Amino acid sequence: MLEVGVYTALLWSAVACYGLGFVLVLPSVRRRRPRLSPWSLGALGLGLLLHAAALAVNTAQTGRLQLTDVRSALSLFVFTVTAAFFLVYLRYPITSLGIFMLPFVFILGLISAFHPPPALAAGSFRGGWLLVHIASMMLGYTGLFLTSVGAIMYLIQESELKSKKPRAFYYRLPSLEVCDELYYRSLVFGLVFLSLGILTGVVWASRTWSGPWQLDPKIVASLVTWILYLTLFSTRLSGAGRRRRAAYLAIFGFAAVMVTFLGISFVSSQHGFFPKLGSNP
Amino acid sequence: MNLVLAGMNHRTAPVEVRERMHVGESCLTQALKDLALHDGILEGMIVSTCNRVEVVANADDKDDAATAIRQFLSGYHRCDLRDYESYFYWHRQQDAVRHLFRVASSLDSMILGEPQILGQMKQAFAAARAAGTLNGTLQEVIHHALAVGRRVRRETALGTAAVSVPYAAVELAKKIFGHLTGKTIFVIGAGKMSELATKHLISSGAAAILVANRTHQRAVELAQAFRGTAIQFDQILQYLDQADIIISSTGAPHFIITKEWAGRMIAARRNRPMFFVDIGVPRDIDPLINEMDNAFVYDIDDLQGVVDANIKQREREAAWAEQIVEQEVQRLMRHLASREVAPTIMALEEKLNRIREGEMERFQGRLSSLNPQQREAVEALTRGILNKILHGPITELKSGAGSPEHGALVQVIRKVFRVGD
Repeated sequence: MLEVGVYTALLWSAVACYGLGFVLVLPSVRRRRPRLSPWSLGALGLGLLLHAAALAVNTAQTGRLQLTDVRSALSLFVFTVTAAFFLVYLRYPITSLGIFMLPFVFILGLISAFHPPPALAAGSFRGGWLLVHIASMMLGYTGLFLTSVGAIMYLIQESELKSKKPRAFYYRLPSLEVCDELYYRSLVFGLVFLSLGILTGVVWASRTWSGPWQLDPKIVASLVTWILYLTLFSTRLSGAGRRRRAAYLAIFGFAAVMVTFLGISFVSSQHGFFPKLGSNP
Repeated sequence: MNLVLAGMNHRTAPVEVRERMHVGESCLTQALKDLALHDGILEGMIVSTCNRVEVVANADDKDDAATAIRQFLSGYHRCDLRDYESYFYWHRQQDAVRHLFRVASSLDSMILGEPQILGQMKQAFAAARAAGTLNGTLQEVIHHALAVGRRVRRETALGTAAVSVPYAAVELAKKIFGHLTGKTIFVIGAGKMSELATKHLISSGAAAILVANRTHQRAVELAQAFRGTAIQFDQILQYLDQADIIISSTGAPHFIITKEWAGRMIAARRNRPMFFVDIGVPRDIDPLINEMDNAFVYDIDDLQGVVDANIKQREREAAWAEQIVEQEVQRLMRHLASREVAPTIMALEEKLNRIREGEMERFQGRLSSLNPQQREAVEALTRGILNKILHGPITELKSGAGSPEHGALVQVIRKVFRVGD
């Protein structure tokens, strides 16, 4: 189908731009420039536009927002993370932000582009609640990813400051305060949307599925993630003793999110992104 | 363009000699006018700071500006310049341009990347403009030098990292706290470095200052100077938890701030970070405090380590800066050269074209039997011959810009083709 070809082509171009943008970030980081080069930002911006176009084409082609297969979901996630990168960079122009976020964007983008298109449009996956659910979960995951990024940057910078010997990262990372702020704000953002996502998911599932959907692995994993991040809510990175624990939790937590997102998609029967439908009403 | 520069800096001359050659700010205008009076000097500028004296002039092509500059210096400073000959360096043409660019970019400074030199050159530029001794090519060169200085500052990290202990303390504070607005500083013990560091912190936004000193009177004086509060020395520990940054330099024989007390304070502050700067020898602050969460302790050696690392970084950045300077030198020299040859090229083209038209005119009668197409062909033929003849000279004129033989080449071409003058 011609439409499928256009979508795939746009997606590949977007991913290529992301890769190019990442490569162009490296000299700025190496040279400790205060800002990212306009070339890298341009490449990323172009990638974002192409990606938006790809999503638009996909929607137009299937008549509705295509979100329920692995490729589309991953693609949307990459989109939100890249958009988040721009928003974060606008607020905190940290050159090394690219090092932490863009490889992730590029690799996930590659996975989504490589992934085969869905065999058929899943019939049971319709509805406004579903849309809100998926969008919220995407934003939630994006926020939690940023939380991990903030936590990692904080840990690295803190260790360099404690060692009293400025090494590679000392010059390239922002202040502890900024890392902490990024961590905390994205935590709040991520939790809000994760909560919204789980809520709308529960509403939608109770209307759509029969059977013990509550025990679906993906849903369980989401709840665990949610509780994990909730415990971090009351701490800042500079809090007593819990600080390091909080940082490690945030990083581990995001690994868990990725497992939830990718791994369980292939396992869960009802909540999978494979059009393998469970018992349908 | 005939640029000549004579100068001395902290490397080539000791301070007594630099003092002798110094041109004070109030005397600058007169000195510049003096310089311009000498034979052949078209433009001149003098930069005289505590670390360097530079005299640069643009002279008539035929004149030796070096002699004029020597005469000016001997006359102005009322001395025999031969006594000081060994302290001066001389640069001409492209080298002079390169030197000016490097100076403006603080690559020739005692401390790489220092910010003052650009402002000092700007002042010298303004003074020379006001005295009327900058109105041609030299003005352009200096204008570019200032632009290059700004570009280096913008595109490299040459001037950013701190290379003195007080500045290093401020830099570290910013790495911990982000912005310093509203932060409280506690200064324990008065000392040159503490005061400097405090001043820098205040100019970066720190708000409240607490001062304590063994002699309370001194603490009161300092507190007044900083618009802060003086604390009695024996009450230091009570107020310590209010401070985000503590600068201590009493050199007392024992620790003023122990690990136990620090732990209590950090807890009282609900784990907001604390930065301890210990300049005292022997140390005032227990270094083991650094192992606690949210506490950072830097003693004088640690700060010096940061300074050393930053200096290395500046040297790395200097390599990039030199590249930028070289690029800009080449660009300017090409531009100036093409400007100089433009009139020659134009005159050359004009002259040969006139010859061509003249000959066409002369042969009009013999060509009258030709039809318009053939006449057009003859016109094209003559133009073609002309262009091919001109191609060689014009290419040579345009390339080779900035090289010392280029000026001679221009003269030769003008002579050979009987153009101009």
